[in-house]
Amino acid sequence: MKLARVVGTVISTINAPDLDSRSLLLCDLLDPSGRPAGGYLIAVDSVGAGAGETVLLLDEGNSARQVLAAPGAPIRTVIVGIVDEVTGPPGPATSLPARAAGAEAADGQGPGSVRTSRGPGPGSRRGGRASPSGSARGSRREPA
Amino acid sequence: MQLARVIGTVVATVKTPGLQGVKLLVIQPLDRHQQPVGSQLVAADAVHMAGPGELVYFVAAREAALAMPDPFVPVDHAIVGIVDAVAPLAGDEIAGDESAGGEP
Repeated sequence: MKLARVVGTVISTINAPDLDSRSLLLCDLLDPSGRPAGGYLIAVDSVGAGAGETVLLLDEGNSARQVLAAPGAPIRTVIVGIVDEVTGPPGPATSLPARAAGAEAADGQGPGSVRTSRGPGPGSRRGGRASPSGSARGSRREPA
Repeated sequence: MQLARVIGTVVATVKTPGLQGVKLLVIQPLDRHQQPVGSQLVAADAVHMAGPGELVYFVAAREAALAMPDPFVPVDHAIVGIVDAVAPLAGDEIAGDESAGGEP
């Protein structure tokens, strides 16, 4: 699986029947330290991911079709999780995404952990996520 | 799946039996800023409506064949949708707040 950040949505009215009413999100691939790794993928959302969130991408067809319960669908990449935090060995290579860096500084976290939540602290993380996810879902209904 | 621009068509009269009736298009894969990246490809058109100049998205590997009416065809890239718009989700300036709720 791959780490990625949701950066956009792809709106399409003419598509393969199996893709009808599925939301497609444009995801920038990240390395474990949260920096862009180069490249992107268009993924089908299965968890209600929203703008700017760090997500877990599954890039394998059979698993993707199993997750979506869509046998025979021409789908290979699916968002299967929303990442709260990635931890790893501390080191100079560990850098934070721009927006997380602010929260990190405020929290006084060490360099070894990458915080991907968008709230100011752990307490608000869950609540902060629910709202944009819900609204993002709503906004993506329009193309259908 | 990735974005691509249709830049041409391929006409082949002699094809392997599974490819009869399959429309083939030349596509240029794009990065997420819609700038050309990588080499051009021949892709099957699974939506039957893509044409030169259009922004599409395609799927590669085994999943490409699944997009075709007969899922056992020798196809490794297939166009599975025509893009109306790629809407940015507010990019970096949404940091740490719920401003995404205001997105159109």
